[in-house]
Amino acid sequence: MEQLANNPADGATAYNFAYLDEQTKRMIRRALLKAVAIPGYQVPFAGREMPMPYGWGTGGVQVTAAVIGPNDTLKVIDQGADDTTNAVSIRQFFAKTANVATTEKTAEASIIQTRHRIPEKELREDQVLVYQVPIPEPLRFLEPRETETRKMHALEEYGLMHVKLYEDIARHGHIATTYAYPVMVDDRYVMDPSPTPKFDNPKMNNMAALQLFGAGREKRIYALPPYTKVKSLDFEDHPFEVQTWKDECGMCGAHDSYLDEVILDDQGNRMFVCSDTDYCAERQEAGHRGPQHHDQPLGNASREKAAE
Amino acid sequence: MTLQSQTSELLPGFDHAAFDSNAVFRVLLDALSRPGRIYDVPVSVATPDGLNATTTATLLAMADMDTTIWLSPTCVTKAATDHLKFHCGCPISDDVAKADFAVARIDDDLSFITHLSVGNAEYPDQSATLILMVDEISNAPAMKLTGPGIKDSHDLDIKKLPASFHAWRAENHHMFPCGVDVIFASPTKIAALSRTTRIEVI
Amino acid sequence: MYVAVKGGERAINNAHRLLAEQRRGDKKIAEIETDQIEQQLSLSVTRVMAEGSLYDRDLAALAIKQGRGDLIEAIFLMRAYRTTLPRFAFSKPIRTADMDVSRRISATFKDLPGGQILGPTFDYTHRLLDFTLMANSEDPLDAPSGEHPVDENMPRVLDDILNYEGLIQDEPVPVDDTAPVADLTREPIKFPAGRDLRLQNLTRGDEGFVLALGYSTQRGYANSHAFVGEIRYGTVSVEIEPEELGFAIDIGDIELTECETVNKFKGSKTKLPQFTRGYGLVFGQNERKAISMALVDRAMRADEMGEQIMGPAQDSEFVMEHSDNVQSTGFVEHIKLPHYVDFQGELELVRRMRAEVEERLAKLEADEAKSQPEAAE
Repeated sequence: MEQLANNPADGATAYNFAYLDEQTKRMIRRALLKAVAIPGYQVPFAGREMPMPYGWGTGGVQVTAAVIGPNDTLKVIDQGADDTTNAVSIRQFFAKTANVATTEKTAEASIIQTRHRIPEKELREDQVLVYQVPIPEPLRFLEPRETETRKMHALEEYGLMHVKLYEDIARHGHIATTYAYPVMVDDRYVMDPSPTPKFDNPKMNNMAALQLFGAGREKRIYALPPYTKVKSLDFEDHPFEVQTWKDECGMCGAHDSYLDEVILDDQGNRMFVCSDTDYCAERQEAGHRGPQHHDQPLGNASREKAAE
Repeated sequence: MTLQSQTSELLPGFDHAAFDSNAVFRVLLDALSRPGRIYDVPVSVATPDGLNATTTATLLAMADMDTTIWLSPTCVTKAATDHLKFHCGCPISDDVAKADFAVARIDDDLSFITHLSVGNAEYPDQSATLILMVDEISNAPAMKLTGPGIKDSHDLDIKKLPASFHAWRAENHHMFPCGVDVIFASPTKIAALSRTTRIEVI
Repeated sequence: MYVAVKGGERAINNAHRLLAEQRRGDKKIAEIETDQIEQQLSLSVTRVMAEGSLYDRDLAALAIKQGRGDLIEAIFLMRAYRTTLPRFAFSKPIRTADMDVSRRISATFKDLPGGQILGPTFDYTHRLLDFTLMANSEDPLDAPSGEHPVDENMPRVLDDILNYEGLIQDEPVPVDDTAPVADLTREPIKFPAGRDLRLQNLTRGDEGFVLALGYSTQRGYANSHAFVGEIRYGTVSVEIEPEELGFAIDIGDIELTECETVNKFKGSKTKLPQFTRGYGLVFGQNERKAISMALVDRAMRADEMGEQIMGPAQDSEFVMEHSDNVQSTGFVEHIKLPHYVDFQGELELVRRMRAEVEERLAKLEADEAKSQPEAAE
C-alpha cells in the first residue's frame, strides 16, 4: 500500500497534464501574455485552489503548470536549496502530474521555480524563472486597500514609498528593508521582487531569462521580460547596496554568493555556507574548498575565530 | 442543418490539446517577451478558410468561452466562425470594441484598429490583442525595435505594413500602460510587438 | 565537520506515514466509518460543505475523516477537489419560498401565518453533559409528528408580511433570472464588489470570522440594529435547464438555512421610513452562520444606505479579503516554512546597526571623558 501511495506514476492519471484543466491554463496564459506586455504591472487572475496550502507557493505552481510542457526540465528551490522540504514537495508534484524531467542543476533547467532566491549562476535566454509571491503589492504595507494601491499605480504615485524609505534612513541611518526590496520596472511600475534578499535585486536587471511571478492567494501575476530595466529604489545620498559578509562559504570558499549562517553550538560558534546549494556543489566539484569542508584539515577555523 | 452534417464539415483542432496548446503558448510567450524576434509555430493545424495556420493555432491555444473574438470582414467566413465556435466555444462579436482578440489581414482596411480596447489606467490588461495575418515576416531592417525584451535592438520587416499602422502604433505606444499588443502571423511564423516596444521606421 | 541536511523526500514520506498512523489512533478501537460521520456528525458535515462550497455529504464525511476532524483541513480538501470538477450547468435560482420547512421561527411577531415551528434545535437544551451518550446507549424515542401539517406555502415574513404594508425596503428581484451572477471562484474579486459577490464570499467565509464580525455589529462597530424577521431551515430542490431540453429538471434537494433580518429603518420627513434588510443563506442547519451572515451583509450595505463606516464589518474590502479560512490558514501558517534567507538579511542589518550604535556611544563616552575636568583623575 505504501509503495503505491508513494509511487509517482500512480494516482495522478485522473488529472490533466500538469494538474490544471486546460481552461484554467488558458486563463493563466492570457494573464501571462498581458503581464509580459506590461512589465511590473500586477494582472489579476482567477487563481484556483491548489492541492497545497496558500502560502506554500500556489501562485508559482499555477504559473509553472501553465508554462510547463513535456520537454521541459524543472528545478525547484526554496531558500536557494533544492533539498528544502517544500522544494522537494513541489518538484514531486510536477514529476507526478506532468511527468517532466527534474534537475538540481541550474544550468540544466528550462524552468526554475523559486521561493526567496535567484540562483547565483547567470541565467540564460532559454530559461524561465518562476517566483512564488506571498504579497505582490509593494505598497501594501503603506496602504492596505487594493482600491487605493491600484489608483496609486495608475497615477504613478509612488511618493509614499520614497517617504517610507527615507524615514528609515532618518531613524536608523539605513534603508531598513533587507528583502522584498522594491524595484522600479522600466521607469514605470514599482514592483515587489518577492521576498528575495536585496542581494538578488541586481540580478533582475537586464536578465536574459524571462521572469514570471505568481501570487496564488492574492490572485495576481506579473512579469519581467528579458532585458528589462529593473532599478532598486534609492536616494542619491543613500545609494542602494547589497549585503556583504566578512566570511566566505565554509564549504566552497565562495566570497560572491549569498551566505546562510549555520549555528554550530550554543557557544556562539557559527559558520557560513552558500544558500544556493547547486552553486556550492558545483564549486566544490571544481575543487574549491572552504575552511570547514571535510577534506580540509579544519577544523576549527571558524571556531577559533569565534572564540577569540 | 443536422448536427451530423455540421460536424462532418468541421476540421479537426489540435491533435493533443494539452501538449499542442502548450507548445503554441510557449511560442506566443516568447514572442511577446522578446518583441520582434521571429518564431516558427511548432504545431501544424487544419486551417479553415479565412484564417491562416498560425492564427488558427494561436486562437485554438488562447481562446475559449471567456474571450470574445472579432474577425475582419475578409476573415469572418462561415468556416472560420464554425471552426472557432466548435473548438474554442468562444463568442464571435461584430463589435470590434468588445474584442479580446481581433483578427485581420494586412490588406484589410485597418481603420478598425483605433476602436480596439486599450484597457484603462487601473486595469491596462483589459485590452485587446491584434492578430494581423501577413504574407511575410523577416528581420530585414525596415523597423528598428527597442524596449523591454530586446537586448540592444531588433530589426523587423513585415511585408506591406502600411504607414497608417505606424501612425496608430506610435499613438498606441504613448498610451502606456494602456495599449494594444500585436501578433504578426504569417503562414508559418509569428512575431509580436508589445505595447512597450519602441519602433523606429528605417 | 558540517554536513548539510539532506533527505527531504524521505522525511516527507515518513511524516505522511506517521500522520496516517496517528489518524487511525489506537487500533483496538473500531475505525470510524464515513457513514457514521455523515449521519452522526452532520453539523460538521454541513459546515464543511458550506465553507468548502461543495454540496456532497459523503465527500465531506471523507474529508472530515481524512483531516482527523480538523474542519478547516476538511474544508481545504473539499475546495481542492471542487476546483478540479467540470461545470456542466448553472442551476436556476433556488426558491426558498418553496422550502420544505423543518424549522421556521420569527422574532418579530408573536404569532404569524404559518406559525412558529421549533424543529430540531439546541436552543432550549440544558447544556448538561449526557453521560448516556458516553455509554453508547443512545436510543432516542421517535420524535412525534405535529398535530397540523406544516403549511406548504409558508409565507415569508419580510416579503409577504412586512412588505405588504411597504414597511420594508423592496429587494429588487432581477427580471432576468438568466443574467450572470458573479462567481469569485471563476474571476478575481474587484472592488467595490456587488452584493452577489459579497454574499458568496460570506457564505463560504469562515464561521468564526463571520460570527465575530456579526457580533461586532451588535456592539457598536456598525449601527444597523437587527431583528430576526425569519429563520427557516429545510430542503429545497435544485433545478437546471439544459440548453437542449428547453425546460427545467430537478437534480436533487439540498438542505439550507436562510435568515432574513429586519434592520434599522431609513427615511426622512419627506420619504416614508422603511426597515432595511440583511440576508444570510448557508448549506445545512447553521443558524449561527446564517444570522451572522445577515448581520454582516447588512453592515456591508453601508455605502448603499449612505451610512458612516464605523467598524470593520462595514468595510467590504476588509471583510472579503479576510473571510476565507483556506486562504488565511495558509498564509498564517506559512510563516513556519523556512525563511532563513530573509532572516539572514535582517541579522546582517541589525548587527551592522548595532555596531554603528556601539561605535557612536563609545565615541560619545570618550568625548565626555575628555571634557571632564582634570580634577576627576
